[in-house]
Amino acid sequence: MALNLVVCLKQVPNPDLQFQVAPDGKDIKREGLNYKVNGADEYALEEAVRLKEKHGGRVVVLTLGPKRTEPMLREALAKGADEAVRVAYDDPAAFDVGKNARILAAAIRTLPHDLVLTGVQSDDYAYSATGGLVAGLLGLPHASVVTRVAVHDGDLEVACELEGGLERVVALPRPALLTIQFGANTPRYAPLPAIMKAARQPIKEIGPAALGLPGWDAIPLPYAFGVVRLSPPVAKGHAEMITGPIPEQAKKLAQLLREKGFVRR
Amino acid sequence: MAGGILVIAEHLDGKVAPSTLELIAAATSLRVERHGVRLVVFGHGVKELADHLAGYTVDVLVAEHPLLAEYTGDAYVQAVRGIVESTNPRLVLIAHTAQGYDLAPALAGAMDLPVLTNCLAIDLQEGRLVAARRILNEKVHVEVEVRSDRPIVVTMRPGATPPQGTGRGTMSVTEVPVSIDPAAVRVKFVRMERPEVADIDLSSADVIVSAGRGIQKKENLRLVEEFAKAIGGVVGASRPLTDLEWLPKTRQVGQSGKTVRPKLYVACGISGAMQHIAGMKDAGLILAINTDPTAPIFEVAHVGFVANVLELLPAVLKELKAG
Ligand SMILES: Cc1cc2nc3c(=O)[nH]c(=O)nc-3n(C[C@H](O)[C@H](O)[C@H](O)COP(=O)(O)OP(=O)(O)OC[C@H]3O[C@@H](n4cnc5c(N)ncnc54)[C@H](O)[C@@H]3O)c2cc1C
Repeated sequence: MALNLVVCLKQVPNPDLQFQVAPDGKDIKREGLNYKVNGADEYALEEAVRLKEKHGGRVVVLTLGPKRTEPMLREALAKGADEAVRVAYDDPAAFDVGKNARILAAAIRTLPHDLVLTGVQSDDYAYSATGGLVAGLLGLPHASVVTRVAVHDGDLEVACELEGGLERVVALPRPALLTIQFGANTPRYAPLPAIMKAARQPIKEIGPAALGLPGWDAIPLPYAFGVVRLSPPVAKGHAEMITGPIPEQAKKLAQLLREKGFVRR
Repeated sequence: MAGGILVIAEHLDGKVAPSTLELIAAATSLRVERHGVRLVVFGHGVKELADHLAGYTVDVLVAEHPLLAEYTGDAYVQAVRGIVESTNPRLVLIAHTAQGYDLAPALAGAMDLPVLTNCLAIDLQEGRLVAARRILNEKVHVEVEVRSDRPIVVTMRPGATPPQGTGRGTMSVTEVPVSIDPAAVRVKFVRMERPEVADIDLSSADVIVSAGRGIQKKENLRLVEEFAKAIGGVVGASRPLTDLEWLPKTRQVGQSGKTVRPKLYVACGISGAMQHIAGMKDAGLILAINTDPTAPIFEVAHVGFVANVLELLPAVLKELKAG
């Protein structure tokens, strides 16, 4: 029952950073940002590697993005992926999730896949849409916000997280697509020898021609998408901000807690 | 009967999701031409629910089928598809909930429709939909637009729109036929699992001090616990900490954890992701401690401390002990 597993990985700017809007208002300033693998995707990769270890098969990691994504793909190889594929779509912003998903779906068609895994959402744009779109486009059954995966002979049984800690367990046949939730497992660290080996492994590149397209803009879209503008958020409300040296902040916090009656005597 | 807005109702265990009322309000505020707003209730044995929803000043369509008794992506995509094809709306509105994540993009993929998810506000202008969103951990606001002659699938973030209230009298309730090919329903419902009740009940606490990834190490939980004790509170957490099993799942505040309404909520090293905010925004007094002055937690907090929580808490404890 060897499984062909495909994991979609996205590289995102480290979300702990502070961001500035580019002068034209169409993107953030990208110089000097550091990038990392999207949080939920780490769980998707780990789930795939565990399924391979348990049932046999191969894990292919697939990303859509510029050359800077290569270290992320190598890290995935070091963590147990067998092959890395980069769809060479170089738009650094790539705001249009529909276009991204259509290109990804076209790439997945060229790969053997019993199970496609994505993260539940991306930490940068938070659409939670790539996995579902790819499933719809490829006609795959799918389940979202998955926290547990069990593979049986003919099918899969998975637990999908709902609001408030409820879980819905569903069964679905393969091939299928799952979006994996944070905390579904404990992602491993890459062992040093594997990191060294991965540094030498080739990364397969897919350009538009390989998918039968003259260019990425030739991918048929049922709509026109545009970014109107980015701006700093206008908050509905905002905290009264306390800054300054720690001892002073501590005094203010203690005073506030006393005033409001939260300090037990 | 083209045009208008189709709103997909969400319900579980015979109860309407609060987000459905928000969708009705968002749709109604768009003042669309022609067929206006229609709410579709999919399910099995949901006529009563539909009648109830017609009280919220919206025309209701009921689409019943045994295969819709429990939500599955496959059956819902087929059922929604049928109604979208027969009514050809301009927009299909769905809540950005766990069910919405599952349904909206898959529907858009299967029907080759445009989709925009997790929107805070939307506006229909000549020939285009403009949506306001938050990106990069809520730190950047973005407006995007979509032009299409096909229905646009949109998901709205729960909590972003005030809910629709009931009006005087009720609107129409119309049953619509649903055809579902059972062979094409590949996803099968197995069972529901409900969280076990154990540990403390966060939702009954008056004071909650929650720790987030900003506390950096499990050992530092002791500091948070000590502070909580000093102010008569209990310790809650953001999701990463319960995922790491630093604290039991019962301590998780947010969309997929507990919704709490304490008198005092102190967020220690929590960024303020929408899923966390969903569980604590109605607390009486919210204090936040974070090193990043742009962290979105400061938008819901009443008082914000721009500080390293690992330095501020020991200093506060000293202050409190000094009396
Ligand atoms: C379907 C779904 C459901 C979810 N449900 C929930 C849920 O119920 N509850 C929940 O919490 N999350 C939930 N999440 C996860 C959520 O999206 C965020 O990832 C999570 O809330 C982030 O937790 P955090 O704020 O602790 O971590 P981060 O976002 O990493 O933030 C850490 C913060 O700490 C600050 N910081 C760092 N060091 C320090 C320091 N020394 N002192 C002070 N501040 C510091 C940083 O500036 C940052 O703002 C869910 C996600 C999904 C996709």
